[in-house]
Amino acid sequence: MPTLAGDVQAVLADEKVHFQYQEVAAVIADNRYIAADALDLVEVEYEPLPVIVDPHRSMDADAPILREDVVKKDKVGQGPRKHANHIFTWAVGDKEGTDRALASADVVVKEDMLYPRVHPSPLETCGCVASFDKIKGNLTVYITSQAPHIVRTVVSILSGVPESKIRIISPDIGGGFGNKVGVYPSYVTAIVASIVLGRPIKWIEDRMEHLSTTAWARDYHMTGELAADKDGKIKALKVKVLADHGAFNSHAQPTKWPAGLFSVCTGSYQVPVAHVNVDGVYTNKAPGGVAYRCSFRVAEAVYLIERMMDILSQKLGIDKAEIRSRNFIQAEQFPYKTSLGWELDSGDYPTALKKVLDAVDYAGLRKEQAEKRAQGELMGIGLVTFTEIVGAEPSKACDVLGVGMFESAEIRVHPTGSVMARMGTISTGQAHETTYAQIIATELGLPSEEITIEEGDTDTAPYGLGTYGSRSTPVGGAATAVAARKVRAKAKKIAAHLLEVSEDDLDWEIDRFKVKGVPGQEKTMKEIAWAAYNNVPEGMEMGLEAVDYYDPPNFTYPYGVYLSVVDIDKFTGEVKVRRFYALDDCGTRINPMIIEGQIHGGLTEGFAVAMGQEMPFDEEGNLLGNTFMDYFIPSFVETPQWETDFTVTPSPHHPLGAKGVAESPHVGSIPCFTSAVVDAFAHLGVTHMDLPHTAQKVWKKIHELGLDKRD
Amino acid sequence: MKVKVEKTFPFEFPATTAWKLLSDLPLVATCMPGAEIIEKVYDHHYTGKVKVKVGPATMAFKGKIIVKNIDDLKQELQMIGKGQDLKGSSSAEMEMTAWLVPKDGEGCELKGKSTITVNGKLASLGGRMMTQVSDQILAQFGKNFVHQITALGEGKAAESAREKLAEQAKTLNGISFAGSLAAGFIKNLISPKKKD
Repeated sequence: MPTLAGDVQAVLADEKVHFQYQEVAAVIADNRYIAADALDLVEVEYEPLPVIVDPHRSMDADAPILREDVVKKDKVGQGPRKHANHIFTWAVGDKEGTDRALASADVVVKEDMLYPRVHPSPLETCGCVASFDKIKGNLTVYITSQAPHIVRTVVSILSGVPESKIRIISPDIGGGFGNKVGVYPSYVTAIVASIVLGRPIKWIEDRMEHLSTTAWARDYHMTGELAADKDGKIKALKVKVLADHGAFNSHAQPTKWPAGLFSVCTGSYQVPVAHVNVDGVYTNKAPGGVAYRCSFRVAEAVYLIERMMDILSQKLGIDKAEIRSRNFIQAEQFPYKTSLGWELDSGDYPTALKKVLDAVDYAGLRKEQAEKRAQGELMGIGLVTFTEIVGAEPSKACDVLGVGMFESAEIRVHPTGSVMARMGTISTGQAHETTYAQIIATELGLPSEEITIEEGDTDTAPYGLGTYGSRSTPVGGAATAVAARKVRAKAKKIAAHLLEVSEDDLDWEIDRFKVKGVPGQEKTMKEIAWAAYNNVPEGMEMGLEAVDYYDPPNFTYPYGVYLSVVDIDKFTGEVKVRRFYALDDCGTRINPMIIEGQIHGGLTEGFAVAMGQEMPFDEEGNLLGNTFMDYFIPSFVETPQWETDFTVTPSPHHPLGAKGVAESPHVGSIPCFTSAVVDAFAHLGVTHMDLPHTAQKVWKKIHELGLDKRD
Repeated sequence: MKVKVEKTFPFEFPATTAWKLLSDLPLVATCMPGAEIIEKVYDHHYTGKVKVKVGPATMAFKGKIIVKNIDDLKQELQMIGKGQDLKGSSSAEMEMTAWLVPKDGEGCELKGKSTITVNGKLASLGGRMMTQVSDQILAQFGKNFVHQITALGEGKAAESAREKLAEQAKTLNGISFAGSLAAGFIKNLISPKKKD
């Protein structure tokens, strides 16, 4: 089957299996018990072949060729290729200028870091029920998908069934976090089986299958070089990335962006010149990298720049808050064009940083840390001042399979003033039903409890690209606001007609149009809705509804300042998070309670990645962590207490000024934990420690430094 | 994943007696907990099966055992065993060299060196426990080896050794085994060995 990234992926392996747990056979049975017994009767004999587990070995001259099927292709998605196991090179920025700046700078810091392979691990695994009606030729698929409309397009292209005869229903989903964006081989198997057999076919994964074969994230081997003058002013940034894409190039990404939006890695800082080079390679691991609770490759970008800022601060002996402050893009510089081509829309970083430092008594914490260090105790303070890029995406820059990344909303106001609204996004637990209803209620002055929001059924909802990359509010929310404003514009015309005045004589107030200067002369939205179906101005169509397909002029750039304090037990290596203070600026805050929930969730998933999640492989390519015995899912027991705060800097181009928030806390908190853990050892010359910061790994560092000796 | 284990078992028997047992593969196989020789295909080639329980995974492996070298002079046995579990989801291979070193006076030492490679589900599920499990399997092998030699003789000791062998569970799923595994694990925690 074709992948979103331009490669071809095996549905069921033939001749060669490329990674452990790859699907090789399917059994279809009347019930799961027969299916399980039948599966046991399938005997598979494997002949071991040489494997590549370490991506640094993929392009060795003597490396085994992993994909004979594409050996002759000079492109598998983004070309050109320079080795049989090479997928793409993607470079952006000014290489010569960056090298020149690096060569002449007062100081250059360089660090290798690995953002390990992790799995989004939603609580509900992937699954579907495909049902093909042989008489009508209709295919209905119930599926746990974050992008049902794209799935419909893909299924139509692959099966030849017209899109109009395919209905994809994505019902309530038990979490997605990027994992449910793609189309997996087992979906294809279930759909094909249903078309062949003419019967409904259900497929559902168990936990091990889910963790082993479905979309994971990250696996970026990064080298950063940051140049600065002696006062800590940044002169240049150079980044080299080796991306482990697994056995097939099936990353979920906008077509033209093989490394996603990684080039936002200049962060919140004025970086005069920069260059990024990303090479993607094949290895014998599961394919299908996605953005785990982040916009495409933004978690990696933010991790890189925030780590480099810390390392620079250590090198120069300038405090990590101070060095960030010296390099911030200032509020009056927005919109700010970065050296790698992004236009950051708005922000006020210094205000946010000051608010956090004051709230936690930063000077006091540093004093306490100095005392603790004198006593031989390990205390670390982590700080990040990150900028995200979300709201995928302006269609001029981004598409999926050629479909622009707009978002849609359709609003119908009934005669009695209740509303049915449908969107192309799909909630995976973010409470779109509340946020969208609130936007409509605010724009139209109709009670939110009479507004029904429906998503996820391609037969009823307008075409949309789905929910990921924090795009629901920035793009879907914008479509909803614009559609609501179209409805209100029509309502105004009807109100003017009913009140026998000109539109210019009307003022809008909460839920009604009032005639200027004439108290009592007014029509409520409910009255207008009724009139829309029986008494409209001449020449106007009846009804009160609108659709909007919103194509954003730019991305949105939410940001945050996070500070964490950790205490480390030098005999066990256990990292105890004493304090985590998260200030987010997501622009206009539509529903504070939902924002708070999203931030708590994102911070907790960030904590999971920072402190335990990884998918380790042994040298034979065995995945050593595909059960919840090994894969870390934090519960209330482990999760620290979160303190949250905010500033509000509205996005200038979003109809509501909102920027999206669900992913910032995940993206921002991970480097903040690393920053704190490394900070505990910074006085001993440690500049970086790779994720995850498990007790075992931290203890190893303690032991290496000889800090665990008892008197 | 690969695990390397080296073991030494001291005996009070002369090396010649121990060698008699060590060089008789079908008999020595009975000392391996959970293992069984099914048939001799031809000289030095056997088929056999092993049942192992590692963590939550119980697996039955079927495969071949090849004696690569029997050196009467050096009293050394080299063998290789490899198999797949019946569902094809895991495979295991063990290369082992065992030899006898006579001690001053009475007795000898059985020394063994083995590399165990496991792939598939067994590695995924049992990876963390493989070193301890391999260690325990071989420790039990040493104990059984002593019983087996004793049982070859006459008298009361031989009688009780034969009884112990009869009680020996055919799978690695005894409470005593789990107990010794836990004990080994705790011992490791208390006195951590240097690992690479």
